[in-house]
Amino acid sequence: MVIQKDVFWKAGIITAIVFILGVSLGSFLESSRIKDIREEYKVVEVQWADAKLQSSYFQVLKPEFCDSAIKENLNFADRIYNEGLKIERYENANKLNDENQLLYEKQRYALLKTEFWLNSIYLKEKCKASYTNVLYFYLDKPSLIEKPKQDTISLILKDLKDKYGEKMMLIPIPLDLNLVTINVIKSTYNLTVSPTILINEKIKLEDLHSLEEIEQNIQNAK
Amino acid sequence: MEFITGLYLFVIIASIYLYSIFLLLLFKNWKELFTYDLSKENLPSVTILIPAYNEEDTIAGTIQSVLDLEYPKNKKEIIVLNDGSKDKTGEISNQFNGIKVINKQNSGKADSLNYGISIAKNEFIAVVDADCYHEKDALIKVMNCFKEDPNIEAVTSSVRVKNQETLLGKLQFIEYTLIAWARKLLEFINSVYVTPGPLSVYRKKTLQKLNGFDKNNLTEDIELAWRILRGNHRIKMCLSAKVYTVVPEKFRQWWHQRLRWDIGGLQTFAKHKDTLGKTKFGMLGVWVAPFYLSSFILALLGFIVWVYVLGRRFISKLLSSFYSIETNSFVLQFKELHITPSIFTIFGVLLIITYLIYITFGLKMMDPGKIPRTRKFTIVLYMFFYLALYPLVFIQSLYLFFTNKLFKW
Repeated sequence: MVIQKDVFWKAGIITAIVFILGVSLGSFLESSRIKDIREEYKVVEVQWADAKLQSSYFQVLKPEFCDSAIKENLNFADRIYNEGLKIERYENANKLNDENQLLYEKQRYALLKTEFWLNSIYLKEKCKASYTNVLYFYLDKPSLIEKPKQDTISLILKDLKDKYGEKMMLIPIPLDLNLVTINVIKSTYNLTVSPTILINEKIKLEDLHSLEEIEQNIQNAK
Repeated sequence: MEFITGLYLFVIIASIYLYSIFLLLLFKNWKELFTYDLSKENLPSVTILIPAYNEEDTIAGTIQSVLDLEYPKNKKEIIVLNDGSKDKTGEISNQFNGIKVINKQNSGKADSLNYGISIAKNEFIAVVDADCYHEKDALIKVMNCFKEDPNIEAVTSSVRVKNQETLLGKLQFIEYTLIAWARKLLEFINSVYVTPGPLSVYRKKTLQKLNGFDKNNLTEDIELAWRILRGNHRIKMCLSAKVYTVVPEKFRQWWHQRLRWDIGGLQTFAKHKDTLGKTKFGMLGVWVAPFYLSSFILALLGFIVWVYVLGRRFISKLLSSFYSIETNSFVLQFKELHITPSIFTIFGVLLIITYLIYITFGLKMMDPGKIPRTRKFTIVLYMFFYLALYPLVFIQSLYLFFTNKLFKW
């Protein structure tokens, strides 16, 4: 009986085909997700310009429509918050492409959120709005120890956001994306710990705090 | 690309390659898998050696099973090698007629077998463990395989599990069935790398030429098979010749047995490492030794990936739970379900599905009929828990092997 050595090279070909197909599919999925994020950013950018203009328009010409501007601002906050979560999910599933592929998108969203925060401060002053700005500063690349802390605080903040709805403007901002504006904010508020919560630009809560504590501070900051 | 991703992809490539080899061998040799010859013409004479050490619980059943084997009586010699048993193995064996019982001082299985070979009268030697039970036509099927090719130096049988009452027994039933199935496929590339104790037959002149079994090896059956292959000879496997063996029912015994197998495998590999990659040693050099080495490396790498991924997740969840308690928030949160497939998921799912098909198909081929519902549950346990124990045993074996802490049995 002949030893069937041909199976070795045939198996090699099958392996190469299956592997290339799998990697191509994986790569295609990753690329299409990055493309998806980039496309959505364009939409968000337009929406942001629109929301900003609405704010200016209502404040300058129709101050009685402040409520609409605030509502638009809140809707936009939800939108960019969800986009942030989506980027995080996509990034976790991004195994083949360069891990910095989404860095540019994350930087753009971080800047957008910072701009949005400033607009929220401005809107609050102009419209005498009653919402509380809650900034959540975190690390985009946390260590194994920092990540569970961030997860815990983000869950607490999510619960508070669900509870207070329109009365709370939750804005998560990453600290480690090497952006000049964010670096300035870091030194202004002396942000050295992750996670840190900044309530109405006045109260700073570093590291872990219970839901009750954060809630109490939100009440005190009004 | 992260190092762990690269490692994962390497494990994936190697796994796909191994699967592909088995699949190709299966499709190419579909019709030959269960073929056998039951003719009684020109059957050679065979000496059946039963080495036994403290086997009072099973020896009678084994001897009776060997006596009942369908084979011309004048061509069958049965020798029980009582290796200094401290129980009633010798007394029980002496109660049977038509067999020879040699009571000797304890010197180990390999040495007992070598003694048996030296006194055997016949041209073929069958080795039978003292806790095995054979189907009546098993020996005749095995012996007829030698007729195919004079270069066949050994023929092994399909080892199945007798005691399937416990969960461990059920898991080993799946394992042994799949091993038999895979071993048959390996025959087509002359890579049957073990001639297991429950029933393997050798040409006596080959055993004499090779100086019998290695007394210093914990798995003398693996080591002998490697020496046969080293000489470019063939080992055949008769899938339809069934032998039922008693497997460990307690986890501790199972672990102990697997340590012995792994250490014996390492001893064998160390002894024959010079064959690695060399064509002059036939399939031993180009496939069996590399396959053996790569399966160990794959198990270790797979284990590292598993520990890294699950370990990180475990630490993260543990700390999250700790922080949740500290902050008086909910430990468990029902987040929205988002499925974002990565390359890990694609290949992971592909491998799990392929292996599930392989297991189901293998079990169905070996035992035609519907797979019972309880066995389906055992298959899941086998895939996700039982196989995960292999690298753990191997790590301890490596430690024992390299620290020379080889224990006595």
